[in-house]
Amino acid sequence: MITKRQLGVIVIVLTLIGVDVVGAGEWSGFGPLQQMGVGVGIVGIIAGVILILRGNHPA
Amino acid sequence: MNPTLSRILKGISVFLAVLAAVAYVGYMAVYVVYAVDLFQWPFDYDQGEGFELYDAILYSRGKWPYKDNAVYPYYASNYPPLFHLLIIPLLPIFGPHVVAGRVVSFVATLVTGGAIFAVVRRRVGGWFIPLISGLAFFASSYVYQTGPLCRMHMTMVMFETLAIAFIAEFQHPKHGGRNLILGLVMLLCAGYTKQMAVFTVVAALSFVFLRDVKKAVLSGVALAVVVGAVFWLLNAATDGQWWVNTIQANVNEFEYLQTIFFLKQWFDLHALFILLAAGYLIYELFWDRLSAYSLWFFFALGTGLLSGKWGAGFNYFTTAVAAACVCSGLALGRLRNVAARRHTVTEKAKSFAETTIAGASLASGVALGRLKKLLGQQAAARPLRDTAGSAATATRFSPKRAWCFLQSRWRSLRPWASLLLAVAIPLLYLLQAPLMLHLPTAGPVFGPLAQTLGVGGAVTQAHCTAYPYYDKMGYTQLGHLLTEDDYAAGEEILAYVRTSDGPVFSEEAMFSLLAGEPVVTNPTQLRNLYLNGLLDTTDIVARIDRQEFGVVIFRAQFYPDPVLQAIGQNYTTVETVCMNGFSYGILLPNRLLDDSKTQ
Repeated sequence: MITKRQLGVIVIVLTLIGVDVVGAGEWSGFGPLQQMGVGVGIVGIIAGVILILRGNHPA
Repeated sequence: MNPTLSRILKGISVFLAVLAAVAYVGYMAVYVVYAVDLFQWPFDYDQGEGFELYDAILYSRGKWPYKDNAVYPYYASNYPPLFHLLIIPLLPIFGPHVVAGRVVSFVATLVTGGAIFAVVRRRVGGWFIPLISGLAFFASSYVYQTGPLCRMHMTMVMFETLAIAFIAEFQHPKHGGRNLILGLVMLLCAGYTKQMAVFTVVAALSFVFLRDVKKAVLSGVALAVVVGAVFWLLNAATDGQWWVNTIQANVNEFEYLQTIFFLKQWFDLHALFILLAAGYLIYELFWDRLSAYSLWFFFALGTGLLSGKWGAGFNYFTTAVAAACVCSGLALGRLRNVAARRHTVTEKAKSFAETTIAGASLASGVALGRLKKLLGQQAAARPLRDTAGSAATATRFSPKRAWCFLQSRWRSLRPWASLLLAVAIPLLYLLQAPLMLHLPTAGPVFGPLAQTLGVGGAVTQAHCTAYPYYDKMGYTQLGHLLTEDDYAAGEEILAYVRTSDGPVFSEEAMFSLLAGEPVVTNPTQLRNLYLNGLLDTTDIVARIDRQEFGVVIFRAQFYPDPVLQAIGQNYTTVETVCMNGFSYGILLPNRLLDDSKTQ
């Protein structure tokens, strides 16, 4: 069984990888795709941190 | 609680529930009328329907549709086989007609709606919320427009829905193992109906992973082995053409602005379901355990985001629509059940005591703080403590106490919350209903109905004509009913095909199939392969240069540029026929036109 804390770590890691994989990390100027990438990244990281703070509750 | 007010609220809730049920049953009726209309239409309604049927015909003859596109008849399918295999049993009933595939797809949507109803009913009970959740699926403009088409997408959504419903119960004490296996089989079916089901596979396995890592790994490995084995067999049996046509040919250019457009349209049309589903996902993510349905809703967005691909469309969001219908039903059902939880006498007494104590505590704390400022700490504290009694001893205002007070107030208000929700839930469904309004606007029933709904006389402008059809989503090529002019135009084009001096080079397969001619070319497949550098056009261009094809029928000119150029040099447009809202170009070989000039 996965806990909220473990899920939080997974969410943060996947967010960072995901944003980079879809190309938002390829820096040739700060266009709409980069803005969306940063937005999704921030939301993902915030969600991940909250989940980590939720501790050992089952995910 | 005031009994009169309670009776009034109950009456309003029943009235609104009946209105909401009528609205969503009405959408279902519109869907059935549209489906029946399409069942009678013998030609392609959506470009690609005839090719799906032709794949089924090829399978029924024991032939593969995955062939070398550089060789005559330059035809191959770019989809997996399951949908086409499901059509085969209907071919003896309907013959080689597109209605066979349309019936399969239509039935698939009925199963999907039924599954949504069953899941919501099983989870939250009652009839109203499950019923509207199931009907909401048919009320979606996306499902309405593509549901009765001879395309595989809705069959994939059906398998996805069933897969999630089974896997959600994989820890069932009695049938857990069976549910998991059935869920994996449904995932396999979904994937071999259309490749996009991969997102649902990820959702299902993620759910199992959160609950039981070992089972998730075993399930994932088992699924990968079976998928891989079937994949290898198909590829080996088709000399590698399976890989070229279903994988390599589907790598198309991506336009993210198109995705954003469809994302916004999806939200505008299904706002209530999406907001409720998103809220349910957030609730489960942080405060409860994630369910298979919430995860499915989340990952289904991934499918939707692929709608920026060339050739993709709004139907990429239909999985997300199904997931939103389920999750919104679960969210409202849960809210209703929490509010309606019955209190025992003890609970009521406890609730009353808690409310009184917390209220006194909070009030005295606030008053104490104010008095302290006015009179000084020593003078105010002692008499007030005596008055508040033991419950309020040494009380101070704190967020925690305020929270306790609010909680106790909520408990005491639960009977009211239940009644208010009974009014709010059908009201929300009623507010959502017009957001996805779509219906024909002419005819003895739909004409006055459209007038009543404020869209009387509205038309949808197609390429070459206008149809009396209104859809909240705006411009659309689908959804309208066919007219007598359309049937006449279809027969007119068919006359060219029947008298063709040579094979028919058509962008739609149904003309050839209805005339008993061989199906030549799959234009979008040729285009995709050409753009990916996987198509040798030498032979096809040579045949066009020799004017071997008796007639060319264009609808959208999807063919690769060298093919279009060769046709332009060797064929001449003799007529443009408006059918089903599209302009069909009829081109005859120059050799025939030269002959007629000579004569």
